[in-house]
Amino acid sequence: MGVMKYGIGMRTQYGADSDMQTGFEEQMEQARLAEKLGFHSLMKSSHLAGHPLQEFQQLPFLGRVMSEAPSLRLITGVVLLSLHKPLDMAEQLATIDVMSGGRLTFGCGLGYRDVEFKAFGTNSKERVKRFEENLEAIKRLWTEDRVSMTGSHFELDDAALSLKPLQQPMPPIWIGANADAAIHRAARMADAWFINPHQRLDTIERQVELYKRALDEEGKPFPDDLPAAREVFVANSREEAIEAAKPFLEAKYKIYHQWGQDKDMPADDNDLSLDYDELLEDRFMLGSPDEIAEQVIAHNKRLGVNHMILSFHWVGMPQSLTLESMTRFAEEVMPLVEQGL
Amino acid sequence: MCAMDYGMFIRSQYNMGDDMVARFGELMEQARLAEKLGFASLLKGSHYAGAPLQEFQQLPFLSRVMTECPSLRLVTGIVLLSLHKPLDIAEQLATIDVMSNGKLTFGAGLGYREVEFQGFGTTQSERVQRFEENLEAIVRLWTEDNVSMKGSHFTLDNVTTSMKPVQKPRPPIWIGANADGAVRRAATMSDTWFINPHQRMETIERQMDVYKRALDGAGKPFPDELPLMRELFVAPTRKEAEELARPYLEAKYKVYHQWGQDKAMPKDDANLNLDFDDLARDRFLFGSPNEVTEQIVRFNKTIGANHFILGIHWVSMPNNLVLDMMNIMAEQVFPQVEQAL
Repeated sequence: MGVMKYGIGMRTQYGADSDMQTGFEEQMEQARLAEKLGFHSLMKSSHLAGHPLQEFQQLPFLGRVMSEAPSLRLITGVVLLSLHKPLDMAEQLATIDVMSGGRLTFGCGLGYRDVEFKAFGTNSKERVKRFEENLEAIKRLWTEDRVSMTGSHFELDDAALSLKPLQQPMPPIWIGANADAAIHRAARMADAWFINPHQRLDTIERQVELYKRALDEEGKPFPDDLPAAREVFVANSREEAIEAAKPFLEAKYKIYHQWGQDKDMPADDNDLSLDYDELLEDRFMLGSPDEIAEQVIAHNKRLGVNHMILSFHWVGMPQSLTLESMTRFAEEVMPLVEQGL
Repeated sequence: MCAMDYGMFIRSQYNMGDDMVARFGELMEQARLAEKLGFASLLKGSHYAGAPLQEFQQLPFLSRVMTECPSLRLVTGIVLLSLHKPLDIAEQLATIDVMSNGKLTFGAGLGYREVEFQGFGTTQSERVQRFEENLEAIVRLWTEDNVSMKGSHFTLDNVTTSMKPVQKPRPPIWIGANADGAVRRAATMSDTWFINPHQRMETIERQMDVYKRALDGAGKPFPDELPLMRELFVAPTRKEAEELARPYLEAKYKVYHQWGQDKAMPKDDANLNLDFDDLARDRFLFGSPNEVTEQIVRFNKTIGANHFILGIHWVSMPNNLVLDMMNIMAEQVFPQVEQAL
């Protein structure tokens, strides 16, 4: 068993005109391949009202995909927790944990899009408070029999959950954090900081120091599992990878920028409207197997990351390209990393 | 072509302390048998904070179970719609519809338990308004792009969902209704009235007039499909049925009574705390295969029900008894009903 674990990040995003039944079959095929290639985990993200993209909703998707990938851990990456009610999330996630035989990892984050806040009857000003009280309530519902708690947007009056998670005392909790303040929150409230896919290695390196200091303040050890999400494309050379991935990855990050993802990122690294070439710099893992193995090793040695959640599929990318990139990653990159660590 | 459809109601409720991983395996077995025996649909109910019972949450469960019963329709029976946000439900249900190749039926109702209203930050007095605006919003989100709508607890600001259902223009909508006002709402706002399991034939007959008048008022024809949910207990003889059923039935209705389900029912039929023989008369499908056949035919002829949703599995009933009853239904009752119609 190697030092490094790998997950497949499934955004399941398609263009507005794509046939989603075909898309669904493609996603199931990717999950089966991840299982076969020895990946450790599968992560599904969440966006609502994601137009101009189409995508599958997170919890139903994880409920379904677990049958295709029976040994993979299932990660919510992330639940936009400030939008939801804790009783709803606690029971849905417990159901997924029990149905999957205890394979859930609960990743959560704040959310950042106005269209989502409004549709859930809230706003970005309330998000930190709602996030924190929701997470506290979920932990209590998972671990206590009778919970009474008054939140700003819910009330638990002697509430007992319909179903407790299988993992005891509870599934692992990761907090996805971009901003420095959120990294403090991850140290305080979660089992691990889930490093996001958007930032440069040097930004993360600075934030890992911040995270360590915050852990010290909390009297907590460095986590056993330090996960990071990254974009990856394996080809024969860096030039070839960059050229092949360009149309898909460039379009993807334009949409992130439109959605306002970069508003939440640190001031020295918060421009996702950069040119493709600049975005590539230390942010995405594109290249030959050797080059990518080097980058994975750098994530481990420089940051302590030991669980990489990799997105192989972007909007508009043909399925064959995704499957090939996944296969090359498993067959060529994974052994190189093993040797190098 | 059989005139009658049968649905398997998965209550999935178990006592506290029961091993839910083992019980989950049994539920999957029930679903596979329902597929094999020619059931038309599978329903999953929803209760939050259901102590003293444990149960699986509805939407993750339906997402998982679809792999075991690929030709069955998947019915939410029911979504407690006044608790939720329409964008959330619209996208989760659309995901289930796409993943199942268009098998979803959306059953919706108000909800009635205080612990649930509080947990979702709402109240009993808001439930009708929230139900109606949520349902309107979901239909619009499923059938329109760029929806703008201001509800009492959400704002849709030019929203296009991440996913539309496969079924066009949208999946069938059933409204579960006990009270007369809700029966009128089922006529005006949905494709059919989903008749609940608790009421006696004479009450349903009276409410059927309410329903038909409301359909007339709305200029709508009587629906092609009229679903009726009933508790079922079938055994080779009436006497065996009584002996086997008594402990499960009494325990189940005691819990409903504690939860206050009877508050939502018409006054002349509101006391669920009745003795067992009285409950069995006109309220359940109960007895020998011949008796159950007669009861089904009578419900069909009297009120027009043509989709019988069968509540076969009661709390703490062993799985083999459930499977036995499913087999008796498919081998004896289904063909007898077909002959009699």
